[in-house]
Amino acid sequence: MSTYRIGIFLRNLLLYITLTFFAFAMLFPFLVMVFTSLKEASDSYRFPPKLLPRAPITMAVEGYDEELPLYFVDFEGSQEEFVLVEKTVKVGEYAAPDQLDMTYIRELELVTETSGATTIYEDEEVPLYDITVDGEVVPMVRVDRTALGRFANPDDLSVTILQNLRSSEPVERLTWHPENYTEVVNLHGMDRALTNTALVTILVVLGQLVTSVLGGYAFARLKFPGRDSLFVIYLGTIMIPFVVVITPLYKLMILIGWVDKLAALIIPWIFTAYGTFLMRQFFITFPKEIEEAAVLDGASRLQILWTIFLPASTPALATLSTFTFLYAWNSFFWPLVVINTGNEANRVLTLAVSVLGGRAMDAPNLVLAGAAIAVLPPVIIYIFGQRYFVESSSSSGLKG
Amino acid sequence: MTSNSTQSQTIPSADAKTSLALKVLSIWHIIFAIAGLAGTVMIWQSASDIADWIKAIVSIFLVLGATFSAIAVFSIRERKHRGRTISLVINYLGLLASFFGGLHTVGFFTGIDSLGETFSKGLPYMGIAFVGYLIGTIGDRYQKDHPGTAQKFRKTAQVVAAIGGVLFLFAVGIVPGTLSFISKFNSLIPILLLLGVIIFGIMVWLMWREPTRLAMHTKGKDQLMLEGYLFLSPNFIGFLFFFAGPLLFSLYSSFTDSDAFGNANWIGLANYQEIFNITIEPLEYADQLAKEVINIEVYDELSRFNFFGKDYVVGAEDQLFWISLGNTIKFVLLAVPMSVIPALLLATVLNSKLPGMKIFRAIYFVPSVAAVVGVAMIWRWLYNSTVGYLNYFITSFIKFVNSFAGSELLIDPQIGWTSDTQVALIAVAIMAAWQWMGFNTVLFLAGLQNIPGVLYEAATVDGANNWQKFWNVTLPMLAPTSFFVLTTTTINAMQIFDQVFVFTQPPGGPGTSTTTIVLYLYRQGFQNFRQGYASALAWVLFLLIFGLTLAQYMRQRAGDEAI
Repeated sequence: MSTYRIGIFLRNLLLYITLTFFAFAMLFPFLVMVFTSLKEASDSYRFPPKLLPRAPITMAVEGYDEELPLYFVDFEGSQEEFVLVEKTVKVGEYAAPDQLDMTYIRELELVTETSGATTIYEDEEVPLYDITVDGEVVPMVRVDRTALGRFANPDDLSVTILQNLRSSEPVERLTWHPENYTEVVNLHGMDRALTNTALVTILVVLGQLVTSVLGGYAFARLKFPGRDSLFVIYLGTIMIPFVVVITPLYKLMILIGWVDKLAALIIPWIFTAYGTFLMRQFFITFPKEIEEAAVLDGASRLQILWTIFLPASTPALATLSTFTFLYAWNSFFWPLVVINTGNEANRVLTLAVSVLGGRAMDAPNLVLAGAAIAVLPPVIIYIFGQRYFVESSSSSGLKG
Repeated sequence: MTSNSTQSQTIPSADAKTSLALKVLSIWHIIFAIAGLAGTVMIWQSASDIADWIKAIVSIFLVLGATFSAIAVFSIRERKHRGRTISLVINYLGLLASFFGGLHTVGFFTGIDSLGETFSKGLPYMGIAFVGYLIGTIGDRYQKDHPGTAQKFRKTAQVVAAIGGVLFLFAVGIVPGTLSFISKFNSLIPILLLLGVIIFGIMVWLMWREPTRLAMHTKGKDQLMLEGYLFLSPNFIGFLFFFAGPLLFSLYSSFTDSDAFGNANWIGLANYQEIFNITIEPLEYADQLAKEVINIEVYDELSRFNFFGKDYVVGAEDQLFWISLGNTIKFVLLAVPMSVIPALLLATVLNSKLPGMKIFRAIYFVPSVAAVVGVAMIWRWLYNSTVGYLNYFITSFIKFVNSFAGSELLIDPQIGWTSDTQVALIAVAIMAAWQWMGFNTVLFLAGLQNIPGVLYEAATVDGANNWQKFWNVTLPMLAPTSFFVLTTTTINAMQIFDQVFVFTQPPGGPGTSTTTIVLYLYRQGFQNFRQGYASALAWVLFLLIFGLTLAQYMRQRAGDEAI
């Protein structure tokens, strides 16, 4: 029994690990987007990549005009945070000729030659220097010279230490740069694009709800000659890819003067076979008796639709709104064709992001801030209306 | 016939008002018939800059309208319900035409652009309207116990929503907008169209009235037909105008050399011929130059192959079509399995009754709601060959394995995801599969939840193990869902465009390695302005998709019958 339980436990553990792995894979790109969009440009080019936006911190120190960067230093055996006061201090590495592996680092400026004394080091005659070690002056040879950074205790600038600047680790704090968003909005017209997309999406959703409800009602509840063959034609066109009509539709837009106009993104998209089909499938499930009673009471068709059918149709309306919303918000191909990319006033978000991606290629923080503006609104709406989204998709699969 | 006469006996004869209305309608239809014919003549006489085919379409409508109008006059005289139907259809269409024509001429549709400018100012007021809606939903809670309170809430909600709505309209500039529309009524056409709206509207109303309906002997079935088409009309007319019309035009256009500047000559099947024209010639030796065996003024070398020891070269007139077709097929073969197989496995796991499954389902769905353009930007960064996460993960993994093995077992490939012609398409496919997988998972999960548990119980009784259950119960029962998922994913994959256009630099690159059919179509239609050719490409793509779907459908049907 217990081995059986262990087996079940292990199996479930494995399942959860798999599920978590995929969940991570699904969410990670979004995390990268959000956190990179809050970074400095230089921070986003760091390797190995770090998820959170970090930047070296600086500190105002008395006697210096500019703020000084803070670094981790090893000071008397413990790790301290010191400010960098001087980037290059020329130093020499000195060692006693008879003990070359014991080296001492001294600043070149502070070291004086031992007067007249030389020695042979690596087959060359080199001068000897006076190096003070523990209060005792020892003549030494210079075995190497290099440059180090001078770091000082910010509380007491007289406490300093020399350390290799390159290998020193700067003190970093999480630093958010939400101003990336304002920059994207102000310099790249993202605010107008956001408004346009919102306007287009709202109008497309509303328009499509109206025409689909009316059409779906006619197909489902009103019997008239030609209805069924028309419905078959509607169904057939759902399968036809949009690209088939893209050139003639573009010509139609030229003809009626809608090229480069928001109307071109709205009006053609509010009459869809798919929406009509969806509403028809829903309305057809209502029992006949409800409607007949209302007809006998002298209600008009519009009243019946408004008072009986619509209040009971929330799931179908939500499904249709969800799909239409996503389609309108995320559509790219048609805006690309019909809106001139130079026309900033009528650009929608997807176009603006695509243009931004080309223009600010070397600033991934800005590009991803733009992407976030396009991606996050649907994601946020999804988080709140999660059930509708997921159930809408499930039902679309069952009907197909 | 008998039922008709009995009906007319039972119905009281039309009152004076209705008779007058019918007289007015008759006169109107006589005027309309004459005006329609006169209008047709005028259109062709006046040397305007309108294209001939538009003139032709308008004339057809006018002549048809005039003819039916004349028929209507007689039918109305005889009080036949046909007359009512014809009159209603003509006047309704006239109403729509003059209404939308009027909106068009006063610049209503292009005026949406200025709404884009002011819309953001109105958003706070839209918030007020939304608050009104929320108040209403709060009121609904009291509906059961305190109907009075609910009523009060509803009233408040309506007032708040109305105030919000009015403020919104003012904020987005309804006053200057309306003034600008009114100022357009200074020329003949808008005024005529306004007049048309009024007259057609009155005529529709006169004929639609209940007394007129009775006087014209319209039966329930005919009334139902009118209502049916009335309800369908907004959708149907828009559908004809913006989809069915362009669809037919696209088919016609594919037989022309139509460009973006309005020139079009009928060239028959030449576009299709150019698309499919290939030649296969034998080579004397494997490295022989293509220009020695094929006419390079027509053909470009596509590929070479060896068949029974003999080398051949394949040339194509439209080399890029075949390359993009190959890329599209490769993409479908990569992205469809990558987004369908993991989805099926994840769905079977999610279908278990373990806690937390809904959260995972919700997480997997997130990529499906994100804009492709944004996603492509993210992935371009993840794929960055020097500082991107993907190569970092691969490098880390390889280092880990190597340190474990203690030798250079694996070599870090440092893949140039976006710059290497060998992997660019794979990179796009991974990205697309990532985005489609969650949606497919949800579809599969819905299908799985519809499989009756009894089947599994029966299988357990028969001693089937989990794998056998999956293979013999789950998969066959899931066939309709699988068909739907496979078909929609394939259709989407065949039309891949957004991903490639945004993700690859330049679009379709490097080289031609990610040029897909739709991208190629876009280039031909909107960069080379060969719109006739682009239409032909679109129909070829449609036929491909149709064929694939049909094949999958047949296979599924065959599978169904086998069970």
